[in-house]
Amino acid sequence: MRNFFIFFSLIILATLQLSWPEGLRFFHVKPDLLLVFTVSAVFYFDFKVALAAAVLAGLLKDTFLPAEQAINTVLFSIWSYAVFRLCRQISIENNYIRLAIILIVAVLNNIILGIHSLNSGNVIPAGIFLRNLIISSLYTGAVAPLIFKLNKKISA
Amino acid sequence: MFKLSRKTITSFILLACAAFLIYSLSPFFRNSAQKTFKPQLTLIDLLKREFGGIIFYHRNMIDSGRLKYEAQNLRRRLFDLREVEQENKRLKNLLSFKQKSPFRLVASRVIARSPDSWSSSVIIDKGRYNGIRRGMAVINAQGLIGRVIESAEGSSKVLLINDPSQGVSSIVQSSRQEGLVSGSLGSNLIMRYLPIDAQVSVGDIIITSELSRVYPKGLLVGKVISIGKEFSGLSRYAVIRPAANLSSIEEVLVIIP
Repeated sequence: MRNFFIFFSLIILATLQLSWPEGLRFFHVKPDLLLVFTVSAVFYFDFKVALAAAVLAGLLKDTFLPAEQAINTVLFSIWSYAVFRLCRQISIENNYIRLAIILIVAVLNNIILGIHSLNSGNVIPAGIFLRNLIISSLYTGAVAPLIFKLNKKISA
Repeated sequence: MFKLSRKTITSFILLACAAFLIYSLSPFFRNSAQKTFKPQLTLIDLLKREFGGIIFYHRNMIDSGRLKYEAQNLRRRLFDLREVEQENKRLKNLLSFKQKSPFRLVASRVIARSPDSWSSSVIIDKGRYNGIRRGMAVINAQGLIGRVIESAEGSSKVLLINDPSQGVSSIVQSSRQEGLVSGSLGSNLIMRYLPIDAQVSVGDIIITSELSRVYPKGLLVGKVISIGKEFSGLSRYAVIRPAANLSSIEEVLVIIP
């Protein structure tokens, strides 16, 4: 049943991310709900379940992106594993620490996606690169507590 | 802290490869996923429109008044332009110009947008079933929007012109100077590779050129808002405001050649 709820939540979050209201976009950016779900799944579920959720979330995101490569699928599973390893080393009971982890992962994810885009020959002005890097990551961090609650409910 | 065993690394590489293969080799997966998401995305789009109509009732009422006034003016102008069109047709016939076959347009609604900030694309609610294929140009009433990069049975993915991987061969309407218009993820576009002595000025209209294989010639791209010199000093660039408001597209027209 729990797995079904995880799957259902992923569908809902992907739908929400795809049809994120224009009025809730700050500086034309929106939060990465699937990334938050992927990372916070490690805090609340078994690693295998979290990893499966990460692969599915990545595949869902890549499906709706114009890029041909499944970069998010690979990245999401890497973040899932890295956070799992980190959680074994430090205490993650405090919500602020979880939030900090989400923020760091969001920044790293955006750096990799930005560099990948530049490496593909795309020209992105510095201002827009920084906007996507900083504001998008902060926004992702800001919505994280809501997804923590969702995951907590599913895991309960 | 991150000491990895060979087994872990191998399982990770296998997992990543499997996911990559699922995605890359199976358009079936992508088509099914898009098909699964279409009903709820269409429903959310409908709800957003209805709620928007209720919430912004007063603004819509004022807009409606203004638009009625504009429509009256435009009707009058349209009447004048019909006369000009008739005259144009007559003159073209006189000059024995070859008439181009008119394009078939398929109207479609935007049901979703790119899930991240590093690309600019939309999903529309028409696909292969409606004759939409990869590579077709997409416009709206204001101007050029982008091109279809993937078409599933009942939906298609459109790459917008402000995506950095997009390049549109264009010309300055007044001087016929050619350049390449590309996106920058922002609200404006950049026209590159303009010679130092290019005849381009602020306010010039940019249209698609006949060199483009994807876009028909003469589609409105936008208007020049500023001009600058490239870092190398060898060429100039022009910043273009797109004719279509790319951040709030609702309906589009797909050109079927």
